[in-house]
Amino acid sequence: MGTRDDEYDYLFKVVLIGDSGVGKSNLLSRFTRNEFNLESKSTIGVEFATRSIQVDGKTIKAQIWDTAGQERYRAITSAYYRGAVGALLVYDIAKHLTYENVERWLRELRDHADQNIVIMLVGNKSDLRHLRAVPTDEAKTFAERNSLSFIETSALDSTNVETAFQNILTEIYRIVSQKQIRDPPEGDLIRPQNVEPIDVKPTVNSDSVRKQCCQ
Amino acid sequence: MNENDNVDQSDLKGGTFWKKQKAVPGRPSPQKEVKNVAHHNSAPASSFQDFQESVRDAWEIEDDDEFGVADVKISKQVAKSAALSVLNSHRNRGAAKAPSAKTGVSATNAKSARGQPQIHVKPVLLPPIQSSSTKTASTSENNQGKIAKFQTLIESPLLNLDELRQLSWSGVPVEIRPNTWRLLAGYLPASLERRQQALERKRLDYWNLVNQYYDIKERDETHQDTYRQIHIDIPRMSPLIALFQQKAVQEMFERILFIWAIRHPASGYVQGINDLVTPFFIVFLQEVLTSDDNMDSVEISSLLEEKVKSIEADTFWCLSKFLDGIQDNYIFAQLGIQQKVNQLKDLIQRIDGSLHKHLQKHGIDYLQFSFRWMNNLLTRELPLRCSIRLWDTYLAEADSYASLHKYVCAAFLLNWRQQLLNEKDFQGLMLLLQNLPTQHWTDGDIGMLVAEAYRLKFTFADAPNHLQTGEIS
Repeated sequence: MGTRDDEYDYLFKVVLIGDSGVGKSNLLSRFTRNEFNLESKSTIGVEFATRSIQVDGKTIKAQIWDTAGQERYRAITSAYYRGAVGALLVYDIAKHLTYENVERWLRELRDHADQNIVIMLVGNKSDLRHLRAVPTDEAKTFAERNSLSFIETSALDSTNVETAFQNILTEIYRIVSQKQIRDPPEGDLIRPQNVEPIDVKPTVNSDSVRKQCCQ
Repeated sequence: MNENDNVDQSDLKGGTFWKKQKAVPGRPSPQKEVKNVAHHNSAPASSFQDFQESVRDAWEIEDDDEFGVADVKISKQVAKSAALSVLNSHRNRGAAKAPSAKTGVSATNAKSARGQPQIHVKPVLLPPIQSSSTKTASTSENNQGKIAKFQTLIESPLLNLDELRQLSWSGVPVEIRPNTWRLLAGYLPASLERRQQALERKRLDYWNLVNQYYDIKERDETHQDTYRQIHIDIPRMSPLIALFQQKAVQEMFERILFIWAIRHPASGYVQGINDLVTPFFIVFLQEVLTSDDNMDSVEISSLLEEKVKSIEADTFWCLSKFLDGIQDNYIFAQLGIQQKVNQLKDLIQRIDGSLHKHLQKHGIDYLQFSFRWMNNLLTRELPLRCSIRLWDTYLAEADSYASLHKYVCAAFLLNWRQQLLNEKDFQGLMLLLQNLPTQHWTDGDIGMLVAEAYRLKFTFADAPNHLQTGEIS
């Protein structure tokens, strides 16, 4: 099951959140398997997928958790925010309500996630031009005001999906590697010594790191 | 029909028919159960043998398996070898450091033996309308006998519900499933003469509810949210089955779920409940189709309106009765599910310590994979035809199916033991657990799954310390 790519430099846990039906699962399947289902089943609880990318010659493995959008699932899904270093907060550009709810999702993250989690606002379904209900500029302004990065994607025609994940993973990588320069970790483990800024400890695969330095 | 009844009656009187006792396959016969409990501490090996003996008939029920008899032979062998290895591990337990691990090993053998010679059938998305069409002569005869037995029960003036449950536990033939389910769900009364009237009244009740709550111009805001969520989920619930792409079908599901949700405000509609409508819908739809109809391509709007309305009402009421048993799964914070997931974890820890450690070691949290098993009663993990077979057993269990479901989940997880142990990291394990290969499963597999679940329940439910390391000697 594709488990042989276990050589990596960094392992980042990322969550996909947002209202029901905005296309979270399709963003994930487009990024990890290059697949898209027009009618993909609703996600129950959480689902997991993974993919590795290269940044600055380093292999970054993204462990991505796709979550159920319905309110009732919050108690379960919020448990998965712990240890996540990135979040893609997705809305549907053709459904204004899903954009209005972005504030609620931000509160969810503030309450349950690491305070330094990198958040990217993602306006999905950009292929539905004729049905657009959320202007790009409005969302962009909102993102700037809340220090989020922003992108519009289409899981259906693949527009920007790769870029979205690439950007957020790169951003996390920059923060983590700068942190390493500032506070050189002991040994080879990527382990922040102090409180801030990003805690990647729970997602570091110590087996693999050990393997790399011994072989 | 009458002829069948006569044949069946005389067979029953002569005691030569099928299996003589009324005992449910897989359930220990009463005398032995008592004996078993009494001797448990003093002679665990022999009492376990008694137990194994008393439930061995569970391994023999394959007569409603659509795909021949190959599975039967395997399951008998497996039953024996599993019993032997469990007995051995019990004998050795006194001195052993980690008895649960030993049991685990024996379970592996059993499972892998079971997994090997699977007959491969083409995956059928929807179940056949008549079970006899694909059968060999002898199994078909068996099936006719079973159907007759059901019919005798169902058509007696006052239903013996216990007997119907016992008979249904090991699977209900497709021909008489609709009425059997109505009775098991408590939707139809025990009295034969009152049934038609009750059915008509309930169907009318349902359509009154629809008029009152669904067919209105303005719904209040909370109901509007419910409706919106249902409306998002229905079109994408079974994307591969053409039947569910029909507007008429989707509207039926929307009405059923909406009415259920507003009548159950503590939970409301929760994603996944939509999947639980499907088995009922299919079973009641099958009833109105002829054997020439293809379930996958039948146009709902071409059927008689009266019939379609009855399907919808029956689906609604049976779903409602069924969901009563698992209401706590869908309330705030889904406490019922959290509790069941924890119980599953405890169970696996006791039954198969090495698998549990393997999952723990790689950071697998039971909630990550079994949440969906609980929330959707395995409907996402099994082909639809298998879910329907599983629900024969669940409906036969009545109120206690939620408890049995835990053990079914445990048996289900243990079924993949070897594949799981072969996975050496978190990613491999998670991907396997989320996509367990059940596409080719048949009724026979479900028969074995519930029999194993029953065995686990019997062994572990009333013995909280069973196989607990070092506690009993």
